[in-house]
Amino acid sequence: MASIRMRNLVKHYGSFPVIPGLDLDIADHEFVVLVGPSGCGKSTLLRVLAGLESINSGDLFIGDVRVNDVQAAKRDIAMVFQDYALYPHMTVRQNMAFALEMRGMKKPEIDERVASAAAMLDIESFLDRRPKALSGGQRQRVAMGRAIVRDPKVFLFDEPLSNLDAKLRAQVRAEIKALSQKLRTTMVFVTHDQIEAMTMADRIVVMKAGVIQQVGTPEEVYERPENMFVAGFIGSPAMNFLPVTIDGETLRLKDGTSFSATGLFAADALARASRGDACLGVRPEHLMVSPDKPSALDIEVSLVEPLGSDTLVHFQLGGVACIGRVSPDLRPRPGDRLPLLPAAGKAHLFDQTTGEAFR
Amino acid sequence: MTDLASNDRWFSRLNTLLLILAGIIVITPTAWMVLSSFKQSFEVTAYPPTLFFSPTLDNYRSLSDTTPFPQYALNSMIVTVGSTSLGLLLGAPAAFVASWTRITWPAVVTLVARMAPGTLFLLPWYLMFRQFDMIGSYWALILTHAVITMPIVIWVLLPFFDNIPRSVYEAAQVDGCSPFRIFYRIALPLVSSGLAVSAILAFVFSWNYFLFSLVLSNSDTKTLIAASFNFIGEGSTNWGGLMAAATLIALPPLILATIVQRWLISGLTLGAVKG
Repeated sequence: MASIRMRNLVKHYGSFPVIPGLDLDIADHEFVVLVGPSGCGKSTLLRVLAGLESINSGDLFIGDVRVNDVQAAKRDIAMVFQDYALYPHMTVRQNMAFALEMRGMKKPEIDERVASAAAMLDIESFLDRRPKALSGGQRQRVAMGRAIVRDPKVFLFDEPLSNLDAKLRAQVRAEIKALSQKLRTTMVFVTHDQIEAMTMADRIVVMKAGVIQQVGTPEEVYERPENMFVAGFIGSPAMNFLPVTIDGETLRLKDGTSFSATGLFAADALARASRGDACLGVRPEHLMVSPDKPSALDIEVSLVEPLGSDTLVHFQLGGVACIGRVSPDLRPRPGDRLPLLPAAGKAHLFDQTTGEAFR
Repeated sequence: MTDLASNDRWFSRLNTLLLILAGIIVITPTAWMVLSSFKQSFEVTAYPPTLFFSPTLDNYRSLSDTTPFPQYALNSMIVTVGSTSLGLLLGAPAAFVASWTRITWPAVVTLVARMAPGTLFLLPWYLMFRQFDMIGSYWALILTHAVITMPIVIWVLLPFFDNIPRSVYEAAQVDGCSPFRIFYRIALPLVSSGLAVSAILAFVFSWNYFLFSLVLSNSDTKTLIAASFNFIGEGSTNWGGLMAAATLIALPPLILATIVQRWLISGLTLGAVKG
């Protein structure tokens, strides 16, 4: 078990700065998810942690040891790869035992550890099969088993669920979460799927272009996004962004529609934004159908997506395409008009120039 | 639908025809060689050639009576096995490193050396080996034949190594393997069919290589293929003896190729196609 510290960590590919300078602390036993769009540097950061990529400058500590120049083999970390990277010529048992053999561990202890990990992951019945004789889900478990037997200081996961179908992904997601609570080892998990990030993480690190946008618990990044990127990336469907002009307690959309901002925002966001242009952010699930409120915005439904548990309605507001999440009992149809209003305290205001949230 | 079925039938017939034609082109000289080895010398060059004749083992008998044939065969085996082993020993790690580092120009250099005419190397090698008093030694032949075998091993194995997902190597790194251990514990077992294919091809090319042995061997180390040259005289050629020698020389590669033909074909295809 170990904490991880990164200080002004820089990674270049040629002259291209993939990570221009990053500071991050991951506590012992913590499950941290690195999330961001493709090319944001999250996998590179994981590979840097694993020792598969060198650092151009900065410091990386695992526990109290500065590991900048320590080889992957000597970092005492285990990694689960996106394609599982099982050794095709070895049986499941041999795959799991391999790292222990490399450490020079005695066979009885290897057998004991493999048996214990296999029991934990319910893979005992195919220990003598080769990877090609396993399904995707089984391979995924073996890859985790190979990591578990080593009892490493840190577990690294590089998008390990991306090759599984939706049903299996949800199941394995829950299993990894349960495993993390059982093993209580520091875990760093990379994904581009914000649902994986939200459901599994103790803390989420949202990245864009090699720069950390926000670090926080799933609730924090969802409820209090620090900027428009985080607000737009976390949550599905994405947050609606509407350019507005603030005039005291009134917000005016680009098409001239005005509505009261009183009570829409948490804390004193409106006071900080002062007068002038800003960007209003409202999540689809926070747009409430409010027929009894005279200040509700009258919108015309252009498209309906029934999801079963709820229904998504598409509409234009202030010249911007927006989405609202409403009850399926409402049975809206294209062309219907709905009175919508952001839920009290759930809307966000962002600086239109910097994208930073007003708090 | 009918047109398509008709087209398929025609393509199938054309395919069969072309295969038969290719078979005839490949098999005719071999059949000629084998049949001639059982003919009397005057029958070999008779025109028109005779298909029906009284077979005789005279050519094979004269081969063992007039030449130290077993010694030549042993020489060929020593040189071929030695140069194939050396080719594998140097070529397999070279291909692995070229694939790992994605630096392939050294492999291209070996290929250029392989494609260059052998006569290009002869004089410098002759002078060099004479300097070290190695003319006529097995080592001179093994080392020079490695120029034939090593590029084959490298170029056959390169796509096999390229086909191994990089993450498998990285998993081994994280599991505590040094690059050398990754090579022999992970990469080599995964390219075993490529190793077999490259070994067979290297064996065949070395076995059949004529020029270096002709110049760098002596009467004690002459290989079969160079020794067969003795049957060609200035005034006359012992065609029957030559055909018998050629038949025996062709046997080991033929037997080898027949035994492993399925492996050979699937191995070559596997290596060539990225999965």
